[in-house]
Amino acid sequence: MTDLIIETSQLTKSFKSKQALRGLDLRVPAGSIFGFLGRNGAGKTTTIKTLMGLLHSDSGTAEVFGIPVADADRAIEIRRRIGFVTEDKELYPYMTVEQIIAFTRPFFPKWRTDLERRYLDMFDLPPNGRIPCLSKGMRSKLMLLLAISRGADLLILDEPTDGLDPAAVEDVLRELVAIAASSETTMFFSSHQLSEVDRIADHIGIIDRGKMIVTGSLDDLKANYQRLQIVLSDSAQPPAHWPEGVESVHQEGRVVSLLASHNTDAIAAQAQSIPGATVERFPVTLKEIFLEHVRSN
Amino acid sequence: MLWQKGWLETRFRLLFTLGLTAFVLSVQHSAHIASAPTPHATAAVLSARMHANEVILSAMTFANAISLIVVCAMLAGAGIATQPSFQAAKGVHGSSLFTLSLPVSRLRLLATRAAIGWLECVAEIALLCVGTWLVSPLLRQMATRTEMAEYAVTLVACVSTLYFLSVLLATFLDDQWRTWGTMIAAVAFYQISHHASLPASVDIIQAIGKNSPIIAHTVPWSAMVFSVVLAAALFFAALKVAQSREY
Repeated sequence: MTDLIIETSQLTKSFKSKQALRGLDLRVPAGSIFGFLGRNGAGKTTTIKTLMGLLHSDSGTAEVFGIPVADADRAIEIRRRIGFVTEDKELYPYMTVEQIIAFTRPFFPKWRTDLERRYLDMFDLPPNGRIPCLSKGMRSKLMLLLAISRGADLLILDEPTDGLDPAAVEDVLRELVAIAASSETTMFFSSHQLSEVDRIADHIGIIDRGKMIVTGSLDDLKANYQRLQIVLSDSAQPPAHWPEGVESVHQEGRVVSLLASHNTDAIAAQAQSIPGATVERFPVTLKEIFLEHVRSN
Repeated sequence: MLWQKGWLETRFRLLFTLGLTAFVLSVQHSAHIASAPTPHATAAVLSARMHANEVILSAMTFANAISLIVVCAMLAGAGIATQPSFQAAKGVHGSSLFTLSLPVSRLRLLATRAAIGWLECVAEIALLCVGTWLVSPLLRQMATRTEMAEYAVTLVACVSTLYFLSVLLATFLDDQWRTWGTMIAAVAFYQISHHASLPASVDIIQAIGKNSPIIAHTVPWSAMVFSVVLAAALFFAALKVAQSREY
């Protein structure tokens, strides 16, 4: 059985009349790069804040490193092992880059001075630059430096590339993969950029309206998910019921398009049994999986 | 490092309040020059002046108390594990999220920040007392150095209640409302003290006014202890609010 770094069970959280999390079950394996996807307001940031102890769940359980996040005393140990990039990238406006690094360093016994220097150079951060004078992109880079240099076992990154230019996004993604590969750091990051997640994540979770609707290894998902395109003969009709595994069916004229999440061989066999039908199977992208599930949910 | 952060957050406020204190002292200095006795004053004039001096001294201690209230309101709270509520309602928490991601308990965050403000408050009180002693010949006539030192300790103890009330307000109000809340509470304390005939043992306002060591020539120990206990209760309440807050 794979060790889990993050595990939530039936997690719920409401804000006044709005239910942000509705029984969220999240499992993040150790050493994985977990892409956490969802529309705006789906519950991504609420989940992250709950894991960080910034929000208190209404019911259910949440554990990080096997420690309950609701236990305020033990949650300090969790935070000692986490590098965190917040969604809004806000830091102390009265400090310089050098001062905030010096401020953060002593809290983390495994602080990586080598990484600190490396990212100061790579991100071109001015040590004496005052934080309010930095652009949002530069603040994002500084926050990444502060998170990565903690020598953390888990990086929780809320929209880490938000505000970065394309070249910087490239650098950051490459570095995140290198860190995950070299130090066995688990990475849990939310993003709207499906292409980024597709490039670096090995596990994904899609959250919608506070519930996890798809989760698993990205390779498995891509291997299992297929789009079947069936071209019917003039007189033929598609069956009323498809085997288990069909997530959606769209028909335009004689062309029927099926998205299957599993059991694709049986589905294809049934399609081929339609007289005069031709069947083609296509791999699907993460974007297709995401859009299909979010729309149908 | 939290101490350094707190210092960076409050240093300009401290500078402002030191300037305010210096201004109060300069006004007091001018008042003393204006009321200095002339060489040919009669006994009746001197007697009247003595009475006037007592009024001035009372007014002076009250002015000191008012400036300390302002000091408390200014020093407490900024960045005490909270953010402006109108921003928080929109989901904007500024740098609080970064602070709360550090491996530090909310108790330590609150205690450090509150201690910095309290120490700055003590520094203000020290400046105020030393400054008043230096600029006021009247004070030097009517009280001893020891009594002045006792007055400073009384101020620290009694102003602590107001300071920790401000800390409590800071855990759920934004800066503007916290300052007003502290001011209103101070006025409420004053009104209660003057209209409710409180026993001296719980009358914090009079402990730094007419019952203070420089006017009554005794140390109001019971009121000081009451104030310290109240301050501790207010800090405990602030801690409970800070621990239950969501961001």
